[in-house]
Amino acid sequence: MPLPGPMIEALNLSKEYGALSAVRDLSFSVSAGQVVAFLGPNGAGKTTTLRMLAGFLGPSRGTVRVLGHELSEEPMRARRAIGYMPEAAPLYPEMRVAEYLSFRAALKLVPRSERKLAVKRAMDLSRVAEMRNTVIGHLSKGYRQRVGLADALVSNPPLLILDEPTAGLDPNQIREVRELIHGLAREHTVLLSTHILPEVEAICERALVLHQGQLVADGPIGELLQRRQARRVCWELRDATGVAKSLLESLGAKTISQADASHSQILTLETEWAHDISDVELQLEKAVAHLVEHQVGVRRVETARAKLEEVFSALTELQPTPLTDAPEIQRKEPRS
Amino acid sequence: MTGFWAIYRRELWSLWVTPVAWILLTTFLLLQGGVFYSIVSHFSGATELSFDNGPIESYFGQGSIFLLMTLLLMCPALSMRSFAEEQRSGTIEPLLTAPVRASAIVLGKYLATFTTYLLMWSPTLLYPVILRGTGVVDPRVVASSYLGLSLLGAAYLAIGTLMSALTKSQLAALMLSVLVQFGIFVLGVGEYIFEPGPLHALCSHVSMLSHMEEFSKGIVDLRRIVFDLSLVVLALFVTTEVVDSWRWS
Repeated sequence: MPLPGPMIEALNLSKEYGALSAVRDLSFSVSAGQVVAFLGPNGAGKTTTLRMLAGFLGPSRGTVRVLGHELSEEPMRARRAIGYMPEAAPLYPEMRVAEYLSFRAALKLVPRSERKLAVKRAMDLSRVAEMRNTVIGHLSKGYRQRVGLADALVSNPPLLILDEPTAGLDPNQIREVRELIHGLAREHTVLLSTHILPEVEAICERALVLHQGQLVADGPIGELLQRRQARRVCWELRDATGVAKSLLESLGAKTISQADASHSQILTLETEWAHDISDVELQLEKAVAHLVEHQVGVRRVETARAKLEEVFSALTELQPTPLTDAPEIQRKEPRS
Repeated sequence: MTGFWAIYRRELWSLWVTPVAWILLTTFLLLQGGVFYSIVSHFSGATELSFDNGPIESYFGQGSIFLLMTLLLMCPALSMRSFAEEQRSGTIEPLLTAPVRASAIVLGKYLATFTTYLLMWSPTLLYPVILRGTGVVDPRVVASSYLGLSLLGAAYLAIGTLMSALTKSQLAALMLSVLVQFGIFVLGVGEYIFEPGPLHALCSHVSMLSHMEEFSKGIVDLRRIVFDLSLVVLALFVTTEVVDSWRWS
């Protein structure tokens, strides 16, 4: 659906809860047909941002425009263009799936004559049709999530805003939802949030990275992945001369852990590159060549995939956080 | 009002599909049946009857202390879910992001509880029919009595809806609205305590006892109607403002 102007744009969006600012001065625009991911660790302000975009929360400052309609000035027009799936997809437990979707369709102004078809289409797309007569309270978490997705789709809106669409799903379901979103991307603009990097790789062409409520990166996924260099390496070396460790250290690889050697000649250790080394892949090449040159048998070299937290660290140019889960920024959940 | 009918239908359906309405209805009808039975057996033994004091007047009027007490629990129990449950379970989020105005949501929810309230009273329409078998029943008195009841319920339910928007807990909503309603009731009792004067005038104006007393005698006083309806409008207006304010919390 080619449209003039951006599908959604945010201008200087900020949200404060008392003294705590959850989102700070966020500006971006998304044009029609894009699939954009909001990335960030827990507490980075993803949910707050999506809630502001969907019109559930009013920003402390700044504006949101959906298809040119300002959300605070023309809320009804703007909201009609949005299909929103909140985090954890809250639903009425006493309703049956088809009943609920029909209610939502009515609420979203789908004409009575088209409602049945719209509900059927949404159920088929999100694969809940076989549960159409099941009471929502009896559904598993995965199905509930999909009913939430069907709800976002039921009025066939041009813009979909999905907050953690794959949270709490098993790997098969995650793959299904991914495929679904991929399929939807042809006709819809999709904004989704996630804290799982592979998910983004698979379906999104552009990522907005949030860190402590601020936009720290905005660009194609490929660019983002370039920064995704693992700084950790696991080694298994046959070290007859006992020089391996000092060799590695001279090249800037700090030892983090070392397994007890059951075989005296085998050295198993995990290292991390020093921060002043910018191209770790090149450094790895150098290190392997160096080790071989000094008669050390390289049996296994494994680079750990960088965790999202490490990518964020690279983006924000902070010190990498230890591999334990990144400290969550304490954030008050908005009421209601 | 776009979205109003969808909300109204869902709320009404939700009230009757869960056990709440049925439990309330059963308890309510048992209580009312008991009151009606005792009134009828009292009058069946009476030798003299004045024309403005029959079983109907008794049931809605002098006996209305029972009636008010049942309403005091029934109305808050009907309205406590409205917004408290939506806030607790988070379903308020999809609701408020749909293209519906807060006023339509509030009105839809409120009118669904009010309809349920009227439906609960409807079986008691049999009582005047039963009484007609043995004596004369003035249909105008019956009509004004039910008008009085509807107004009272409308005001109680509006207060309950507001209380439900103020908290995430159904129990807290129930207790808050019982408290407010009981407060108004007690204020009305002041009518029997204070000497004639401004305080007495105030108390008799808000008195629920004399409210029902008058309506049960066929007296339809515009001031009573205005008072009840302004309570409804005020409570629902504040509720709408509260719901809108959630966006800015």
